[in-house]
Amino acid sequence: MTVGATSVRARRAADRAALADRARWLAETLGIVAVAGALVLAFGLTSSQFLLAENVRNIFVQISVVGVAAIGETLVMLAGGLDLSVGSVVLLSEVISADLTATHHLAWPVALLAALGAAGGIGLLNGVLVGVVGIEPILATLGTLLVAAGLGQLILGLRYLQVGNPVFNDLAVKNVLFNLPIMVVVMLALYALAAFVVRMTAFGRMVYAVGGNRRAARLSGLSLVGVTVGVYVVAGVLSGVAGFLNVAQTGLVSQNDGMGMEFQAIIAALVGGLSVTAGGVGRVERTLLGALIVGMMTNYQTIKGIDPSFQQAFLGGLLVAAILADRLLRGRQ
Amino acid sequence: MTSNVPLLRISGLTKRFPGTLALDGVDLSVDRGRVHGLVGENGAGKSTLLKILAGDYQPSAGRIELDGDEVHVGTPRRAHELGIGIVYQELSLLTNLSVAHNISLGSEPTSGLAIDERALVETARRVLDRMGVAIDPEQKVGKIPLAERQLVEIAKVLTLRQPRLLIFDEPTAALGQADVERLFRIIEALRDEGVAIIFVSHRYREVLRICDKATVLRNGRVVAEVACAETSVEHLVELTLGERVAAAFRRQWRSERPGEPVLELFGLEVGSRVRGVDLTVRRGEIVSICGLLGSGQSHLARAVAGDAPDVAGTIRVKGVEAIPRSPRHALRLGVALITENRQEEGLFPDMPVRANITIASLARVAAGRILRLIDPRRERRLAAEAAAATGIAQKALGRRVRLLSGGNQQKSLLARWLMRRADVLVLIEPTRGVDVGAKLEIYRELEELARRGAGVLVVSTDILETMALSDRVVVLYQGRVAGVFDPRIATEQDLLLAMQGTLPRVEAVT
Repeated sequence: MTVGATSVRARRAADRAALADRARWLAETLGIVAVAGALVLAFGLTSSQFLLAENVRNIFVQISVVGVAAIGETLVMLAGGLDLSVGSVVLLSEVISADLTATHHLAWPVALLAALGAAGGIGLLNGVLVGVVGIEPILATLGTLLVAAGLGQLILGLRYLQVGNPVFNDLAVKNVLFNLPIMVVVMLALYALAAFVVRMTAFGRMVYAVGGNRRAARLSGLSLVGVTVGVYVVAGVLSGVAGFLNVAQTGLVSQNDGMGMEFQAIIAALVGGLSVTAGGVGRVERTLLGALIVGMMTNYQTIKGIDPSFQQAFLGGLLVAAILADRLLRGRQ
Repeated sequence: MTSNVPLLRISGLTKRFPGTLALDGVDLSVDRGRVHGLVGENGAGKSTLLKILAGDYQPSAGRIELDGDEVHVGTPRRAHELGIGIVYQELSLLTNLSVAHNISLGSEPTSGLAIDERALVETARRVLDRMGVAIDPEQKVGKIPLAERQLVEIAKVLTLRQPRLLIFDEPTAALGQADVERLFRIIEALRDEGVAIIFVSHRYREVLRICDKATVLRNGRVVAEVACAETSVEHLVELTLGERVAAAFRRQWRSERPGEPVLELFGLEVGSRVRGVDLTVRRGEIVSICGLLGSGQSHLARAVAGDAPDVAGTIRVKGVEAIPRSPRHALRLGVALITENRQEEGLFPDMPVRANITIASLARVAAGRILRLIDPRRERRLAAEAAAATGIAQKALGRRVRLLSGGNQQKSLLARWLMRRADVLVLIEPTRGVDVGAKLEIYRELEELARRGAGVLVVSTDILETMALSDRVVVLYQGRVAGVFDPRIATEQDLLLAMQGTLPRVEAVT
């Protein structure tokens, strides 16, 4: 009798806890959507330009490069790592694709493949340094940041590269969907693909497992090396894609391209609710919202004519705020 | 000198945790210049009592007096100020720092802003001299042998301004005979200086050798206080055992005739912890390994599952000879491991129970070579089957595993390996932190796994658990097999005595 009663009570308590957990999860997701919505409202009310179709299109174009890079960063962070080499890989990819098309007059698909190959190569190096050699991600990718940046600048030399190739131009200009150009559609498609892979494939499951608990993943027979190398290679390739898109957007490659993009990608992921201290929690598609929030803030500041230096400081502040929010949320659990 | 007041007097100390009463009105007093033993099985409440004295836990009720004054320990820092020091069983030293740095950790002497290195070394030397041990204070801790690290651990406690009460928590678990003697001389010296000492140990012979009195805890209560000069190991064993839950478990199924061997060990060595063990586990068998803490049992378990370095000898799984290089390799051979650290080594806390079950069998739920798409319907069905077989409620499958009780978390891990169809399941302390009802269910599940043809190897320090659960009990003492018992014939006393290294008759079972 009493045993039955206590177990019923225990079960009710467990049900309540599960319900509370659901509610919290929902609140987290809705929270990010609400923040984005509030920003749209606030910016729209205080700026007559902000909600114009042309400006909305601009925001999407502006975030598409960082947005693509942030997908890779998200995967790496989900698996419990960090990739600081994103920006340099973007530069390297830009230089290679621009140099091959503009200087060597090769067809753009060849240039794209070469750029992605080099980017994937840096990713592979990251994966080996972290997964096989066992170097801290932050240090290993700091090293490859310098390697990739050095290589890119070596090829580029002290010049600018101007790209006149119409295909590049089309990527940024030609509208294919709701007034949005190809590069934005590419970004959205990549998010959809990443969200699918993370949810529906064995690889995605293993990424969450390795990020969630490395020891347990090892004892469950997962290949830590395989997953680690995998996410860094994917991140490298996606940074390569981002570089290719950036050439399209600007039509120009210069030495400072890609600089600091890793931080924008990390900020997007963090604002989207990922954790720097612990992997295994978070959603790829929330990073898109994170990138959108950051993009809207930057766009709004530009419209209002705020000094770019201040914008950078503001981004830094946002990074710290996102980390603090993460600490507080995790600490509560 | 108020010598008739005991240094430490605890009365009515109670500690409640959600669902359990860890301490239930414990009374204990220790005089100055005396060594007081504290014995009892795992879960009897010893650690809880220690943690309260160390300031890690707050008691739910009761009174602690030091020198006749009521004190509230509150924090570890306060414990320090009160002169209470604890030498922990798990070494808490930083191996990359010098002995001297470790000894003064957190209270380094300073000159200006910098640490005064000379004073640091001086302090360490003074304390080590006082203990009569020759350890170079400037050596890195990582470079000195384990037994000496234990001494450094003690030295650390002796830097207390005025140690009044020192607690030794299983201090001899990792020590050899000569080192134990050295430790005892130090304890005796401290005792003679008037320090009150609490000595916690499973090694009853040592308790009788060093202690004046001993308190026996069982299920959070004091069952006896004995004078060590007037008691025996056998009597202590009887007192600690009493009657408990595991005795309520009766095997319902046993393999009629022994199946083929799934796991065979010949002359297995793991570092210096396991020294030449032969062992066979057959299909349908549950074999337990027991021994005192540090007798090599968990090293053996981890070696079999590919999670230990320095393994030598022969391991055969289903007749295939191989020393598993990694857990992944062991799993391919057919050996799965559930360790005593569910949180750190078993669960993916933020993943749903379902994904926690299927994570080790993704090949069975995913199709395709490159993308390896998960078939959600297949995953649901297979996870539901495994959950049903291990008694996990179906509606729990979608919940994050961190929300489950300890018992249900353990069942999720069983379901993981059931789904993987492991041939050999190795478990270390499978019912630690699990409540009574769930304990019996877990025994039932293990029996069921054996019935389905797995070989089950259980490492446990709970004697009654091994007695009730297994077909065979192998007792290890200092890394060697001290006896093999048939639990239907042997008594608990037989096992306990074998664990103490005082070998009774050996029931050979093959």
